[in-house]
Amino acid sequence: MNKFASALAVSAAMIFVQTSASQAEEGTSTLQTVKDRGSVSCVIGNSFPGFYSLNKEGEWQGMDIDMCRGVAAAVFGDAGKVNFLPVQWAQSFTTIKSGKGDILSKGMTWTLSRDVSQGLDFLDTYFYDGQGFMVRKDLGVTSVKELKGATVCVLTGTSSELNLADYSRTHGLDLKTVVFDDSAVRNTAFFNDNCDALTNDKSGLAAQRSAAPNPADYVVLPETISKEALSFAVKQNDSEWANVVKWTFQAMVAAEEYGITSENVDDMRANSESPIVRRILGVEGDLHVGLGLPQDWAYQVIKNVGNYGEIYERNVGPNSILGLDREGTLNALWQDGGLMYAKSFR
Amino acid sequence: MSEQKLKHFVPTPPRLPATNEQNLLRRIQKQCFNSIGNSLLTISVLVLIYYVAKSFLDWAVFNAVWNAATRRECMDISPDGACWAGVIDWFNGLIYGRYPDEEQWRVNGGVVMGLLWLLPLMNRRIAYRNSILISWITLYPFLGAYMFLGGTFGQDVGIIHMVFTSLAAGYFILLYLNWMLCAAGQSSLPERVTPLTSKLFRRGQHMNGFLLVWAVLSILCGVALAQVNLEPVPVDRWGGLFLTLIIASFAITMSIPVGILLALGRRSKLPVIHWLSMMLIELVRAVPLITVLFMAVTLLPIFLPSGAEPDKLSQVLFAVCLFAGAYMAENIRGGLQAIPDGQYEAAQTLGLGYWLTMGLIILPQAMRLMIPNIMTSFISMLKDTTLVSIIGLFDIMLMARNISNDKNWIGLHTEPLALISILFFVMCYGMSQYSLNLEKRLKAHRS
Repeated sequence: MNKFASALAVSAAMIFVQTSASQAEEGTSTLQTVKDRGSVSCVIGNSFPGFYSLNKEGEWQGMDIDMCRGVAAAVFGDAGKVNFLPVQWAQSFTTIKSGKGDILSKGMTWTLSRDVSQGLDFLDTYFYDGQGFMVRKDLGVTSVKELKGATVCVLTGTSSELNLADYSRTHGLDLKTVVFDDSAVRNTAFFNDNCDALTNDKSGLAAQRSAAPNPADYVVLPETISKEALSFAVKQNDSEWANVVKWTFQAMVAAEEYGITSENVDDMRANSESPIVRRILGVEGDLHVGLGLPQDWAYQVIKNVGNYGEIYERNVGPNSILGLDREGTLNALWQDGGLMYAKSFR
Repeated sequence: MSEQKLKHFVPTPPRLPATNEQNLLRRIQKQCFNSIGNSLLTISVLVLIYYVAKSFLDWAVFNAVWNAATRRECMDISPDGACWAGVIDWFNGLIYGRYPDEEQWRVNGGVVMGLLWLLPLMNRRIAYRNSILISWITLYPFLGAYMFLGGTFGQDVGIIHMVFTSLAAGYFILLYLNWMLCAAGQSSLPERVTPLTSKLFRRGQHMNGFLLVWAVLSILCGVALAQVNLEPVPVDRWGGLFLTLIIASFAITMSIPVGILLALGRRSKLPVIHWLSMMLIELVRAVPLITVLFMAVTLLPIFLPSGAEPDKLSQVLFAVCLFAGAYMAENIRGGLQAIPDGQYEAAQTLGLGYWLTMGLIILPQAMRLMIPNIMTSFISMLKDTTLVSIIGLFDIMLMARNISNDKNWIGLHTEPLALISILFFVMCYGMSQYSLNLEKRLKAHRS
């Protein structure tokens, strides 16, 4: 009887701990939790070249990684205080909802259903992507519309598969899909001529082309058949934290617009006369107060991680693994015809 | 009466010694070319082997590139050979995962220590061999965890962990001191102290000497370890073959006790225990390992209080242990059923209770019978651990996949997988050879 009673007591205590802990979690904002924890938890995936992947030293690198490092720099002044949680696709939403992860930054496309039904708030798009096609050059095809009746290699269960079906139906192309479960197998199949075309997000196509036995044999067709706005998301209804993440990104874009780079940021901070630059870098004004961050938060972001242009060049630019030109794409600054438009620092 | 002729023994001439059988050529002729059909079969199989082996060797050895900076360079040098340069470049990653470079000696040290701990078992003359195995299961994990996780005594390392690490280190040293003394023909350290302790304690003299020496050594080790400051390496940086081996060895070691308990539970006459064990076994066996892993990673955190969420590795270890235990339970139950009733009755006649009957009479025989099956389970567990890559633990498979996403080695899938196949073949073949050896030895011991 004694044992039974103590077991009962233990389980009652556990239930109590559980409820009180979850109540505590409801009350505090993520920003406070992050500050108490001393690090930002960033939800990523296993590997996505250019966006998040491991190098051989075991360090994470990529565009999503730099976004998270930027947030850590804004909060702590140290881009290293970030903890990456590589999770499966199915777990990414629950990891954010349960509060285990603070930012979802895993190259996720902003869609309506994800925005409304997964308990997430999408904040900003850091990379505009879209689905494209790659074919063998000697096929002589210059447009997707010429691919009538072609077989297309595609990953099963992805939005690419659905987009492909939509596109084929609207344009009466009668495309035959060859589905694969694993991107490595799909690429090998394509390079061994098991299908006429390969479809994927265009950023990925560039990387896959570079892995071909002879990249010059393949071309990426000009059409983009879908909208893939890769965006980061945070837990729903936590504006304080959402502001921090949102404005970290804005600071990166604004820095590029006003010519602040990680190299000249110290100089700009000391000598710049421009009131906007001075406000961004926290030399004057009190913009940081509303965010609940240190005065030099944006300076730290730029100093530690760089401006948007630098991040782009480093991870997906022409000299990187993906080799994507920025000029003329949606990812250029607004004054160059792109969609990267920093909101006003005032 | 007619005179009968005496029968003389006339030996038949001896047959010629079968020298032909000894001749390799003749044997091949007799076995492989004894008819037209067989000759054709032999030749076609040889041709097939030649082509498979040749194309593999061409790819893997003759046309392979061992030295290059990028995969593109590999392809320029030799377009249809393996690019081992990428695997060599990533070798540390494959073995240690994301473990920091300058701390990797600790992984080597910890693993070597674990193997050294088991080494005395090879010496059949050493006393208390069971206790070495038990100490390895109960104490070594603490020492290993301390080596792998790092931290400073009293700061990152908890009090319980501190105590057990010291005990483990003490035991390890004691084990080797004893072995060395034993090899030198001297009496062991505890035996030397026993005269001292026997003055203080009258009972259990041998045990007291042992405990005293162990305690002193442990305290010394604890004091020494407190001076050391190992850089903490969190679990999420573990990976590669190291992580695979940790998960596999945990599953293999834990499957035996869990399996024995579940098997005994299932054969128990107490209804609650019987039904609980049966339900657990059947439930776990009825779902694939990947489902159990997913359940452990997504559901376990829901069952536990939210503050005390274990890391992913612990969740995976829990799942693997449950899974391996359920399979092992059925293996052991098979062994238990093969034991004739007479053995139980004989044990009862001797006045042995349930646990003694099981421990001394039934289980040793049952386990011996089931060695091939148990070893099969072990091997499949070792291979199953590669599934943890799917839930995002950076074991050797996931590290291999990351090579193909590295900037320099993009698209390099085949070579890492070939290396992993070879590694796994070596490990699994070694295990199965060991089990054959064990069977032979135990059979010899029995007859």
